[in-house]
Amino acid sequence: MEEVDQIIIHSLNTIGCDIEDDVVSLKQFSTELIVAAAVSCVKSISNENDLPSTLPGGMSARFRMGTTLANAIQELGYRGEIGYQTFLYSNESDIRKVFMFLVDKLPKETVEAMDEPLGASVLLQKAISASVARHLTSPWLPPFLKDHGVAWRGKPPVWQREGACSLHGFYACHLTRPHGSADLTKKISKELKQYYCQCLPFVTNQTAHHHDTLPSVLELNGMEIAKQHEWENEWNQYGLASRLSEEEYKSKKRQRVKKRIIDQLKRDVERADAKTGLGPAENFQQLIDSITSRTSTGVKGKGSRFTHTEKLLFAKDEEKAVSQLVGETATHSEEELQKEREEELNSLREELNNVSSQFSNLDLDVKKFTAGIQELEERLTLQKKENEENEKSYSIKKRTLDLLPDAENNISKLQAVVDASAQRLANLANQWEKHRAPLIQQIQELKELNSKRESEAQVKLGEIKTFREKMKSVADEARNKEEIQKQLLAEYERMAKDVNRSAYTKKIMEIVANIKKQKNDIDKVLVDTRTIQKEINLLSGKLDRTFTVTDELIFKDAKKDESVKKAYRFLAALHENCELLIRTVEDTGIILREIRELEDQIENESNKKVLSNLEKITADYREMRKENAALIAKLKQKS
Amino acid sequence: MDLSSPTLEDLALAGDSVHVPDDVFSVLVKKLFDGINDGNERNISFLSENDRYKNVDKAAVKQAYGGLVTMVTEAAKNDMEIESLSSLLEDCKFSGDRIAALSKAFLQHKPQIQILLNSIGNPPPHIVDIDWRLDYYIKNNHMDKVNEPVYLVSLKTEEAGKPGLQEVQLSCSLEQLQDLVGKLKDATKCLEKDGTVIIYTFQLFNTIFDEYEVPRIAVSLHGQNGAYIDIKTHIFNT
Repeated sequence: MEEVDQIIIHSLNTIGCDIEDDVVSLKQFSTELIVAAAVSCVKSISNENDLPSTLPGGMSARFRMGTTLANAIQELGYRGEIGYQTFLYSNESDIRKVFMFLVDKLPKETVEAMDEPLGASVLLQKAISASVARHLTSPWLPPFLKDHGVAWRGKPPVWQREGACSLHGFYACHLTRPHGSADLTKKISKELKQYYCQCLPFVTNQTAHHHDTLPSVLELNGMEIAKQHEWENEWNQYGLASRLSEEEYKSKKRQRVKKRIIDQLKRDVERADAKTGLGPAENFQQLIDSITSRTSTGVKGKGSRFTHTEKLLFAKDEEKAVSQLVGETATHSEEELQKEREEELNSLREELNNVSSQFSNLDLDVKKFTAGIQELEERLTLQKKENEENEKSYSIKKRTLDLLPDAENNISKLQAVVDASAQRLANLANQWEKHRAPLIQQIQELKELNSKRESEAQVKLGEIKTFREKMKSVADEARNKEEIQKQLLAEYERMAKDVNRSAYTKKIMEIVANIKKQKNDIDKVLVDTRTIQKEINLLSGKLDRTFTVTDELIFKDAKKDESVKKAYRFLAALHENCELLIRTVEDTGIILREIRELEDQIENESNKKVLSNLEKITADYREMRKENAALIAKLKQKS
Repeated sequence: MDLSSPTLEDLALAGDSVHVPDDVFSVLVKKLFDGINDGNERNISFLSENDRYKNVDKAAVKQAYGGLVTMVTEAAKNDMEIESLSSLLEDCKFSGDRIAALSKAFLQHKPQIQILLNSIGNPPPHIVDIDWRLDYYIKNNHMDKVNEPVYLVSLKTEEAGKPGLQEVQLSCSLEQLQDLVGKLKDATKCLEKDGTVIIYTFQLFNTIFDEYEVPRIAVSLHGQNGAYIDIKTHIFNT
């Protein structure tokens, strides 16, 4: 019974009864403890009862409470006998029965929670609610007690953010990391290496603000991962099908993209031109004109001239400024000088204009001349070509002329040469045919082979694709399983604190073993009794048979002999006496069994603490009488 | 945790004692967490300052450092445990000593890095404190006798990127204040029940404040707790 008691006490502790550690069995439960435990059990089962959890002081109130509690438990479905006396004048076995029933009825939240599948979202929700609960339970802190809005609480300290003062937006900038220093076989250019070694700052020092470092790092990593995924997808979809190597595929793609960009740009420029009706160059010219319109010189034409004049103008301005300065500081009255200067200036300006127009004219001339040079050069090359052709035709004609004097001879010679060459041609054609046939065959064979290979390659490509997919799915599965394992591990760790389970199972196993042993014993005893019964039956049968045989024999003889008659009488008496004896033995057995039963009953009754309970009842009875007397006295006083 | 293949390469470099010798590695780990956590310590120049590290390949160290920074950041983001971290490092061919040193330092600095990560974001202003005042409104030029209490509530908020506290002020009568407190209590109850309703609750808070013509604010739970307790006690006292 100790195991049962321990289980009951443990479950009572888990629903919130404080049972002290030195209480190990139900025997030690006091009346108050029993009532409190039963009330909390009933409350956690049905949640509707509003029973007080402590016993009231007055006797009648106690009885009432005991009765309501018993009713509540009966409503829950308890079949055994129960009443106020079960709680107030308890005996161990009744109380055990009641508690076993109640503990069995307790809601089993923990078991249900374990059964439900733990997805990532469930875990996340749990984490969120835990964190929210932590926030809700933590006391408020004035902002000046927090370090940048972060408060450390608890033991071991856990931080939590309260307030938004030190927050800043996600801002990432590009980070540069050196590449390729691991692979010594690949050569990095010297300049790059020097840059990496001497100029490039460490990653954490590359952002303008310290708080941008982490966003940048995260973004860089995310970007690289995304790139990798994208490339893998593309390679699986199009890359493998194109049957190019990776580099070739990439360069091809690069060209394609470049071409598209160029086309797009071209189209846009054309569209823009069509809209404004002016080319970009003209626009630029307009702009420049608008800038220079204030100067009376009216610049038209090329940029080089414009800059030239501009320079001169600025120089003039400066000159002016300088002259003004000089004029101010040195002599105010020298107007003549100034006039002279102005004249000079005007003349110089005119001269300048002249010179510049001359210059532009010369420029034009130079252009013209260069154009003429080009033209002439072209003509020269044309003439040269013509010359060469003429020379060729001349040499041929000369040869034919050389042959003319001995015409017939030469004609026949030439005829022979022509014939020979014709024959040779035919020969060659024959040879060619000979060579051609096997070559054509070879080509066909190779073509066939090639097509076969292609189809094989296609099949293999398909296989590769399926393998890749498989790989991915397997990797996903592995990851999922790892996650599940992690979850289960975490759960297991959480559960490991509850040693009870293993203890329970251990105890159950022990009990089962005990029961088996007892069963064996019982079986043995049963077999024993059966054999004994058999023996008894056998013996009694034998006795009966021998008795009848001797009885008959002696009865036959008894008619003849007197002494045998006596012997017969003795036999009958002996038989009767023996039977009596056996009956007495059986009776004693029955009585012994009855005695044992009674002893058991006595033990049971004594277990029920009848005496103490009786004493308690009498005490309570006295108290009630006292209460009644007091009430009567009060009533009388009032009346 | 996902790490890109260049990062894994860099990490493997950090675990390789040919490129990053043991003494450099120990300094590197220290500088790593200093550089991540402390804005003043991020200018790392121990390689050029010390003659001892003359023969070390600086480019390799910088590359390894970059890999380590990424790994540590991602690990802190995913709240990784030491076991999975060390298995990752084992995959990158770290020696046992290095794994132990790095894991220890990581465990020590993880909360700090997580605080840094947590400080990224642009949230609405946050209530952190509250002041209130009870005025008694006696009369005005139209009425000789008004005699009503008026509560002036000033919510102190913190805003991202602004130093110090901002103020959001509202005035209300006793009934309005009771209403406000009741609604806040309801909202808190919702939160206590389940973490999933959190967004709904913040919306609720905002609708509550909208009624009182207060600009939108997120309520910091504890701040709000403290705040409403403050108001509540006063209501019960009056």
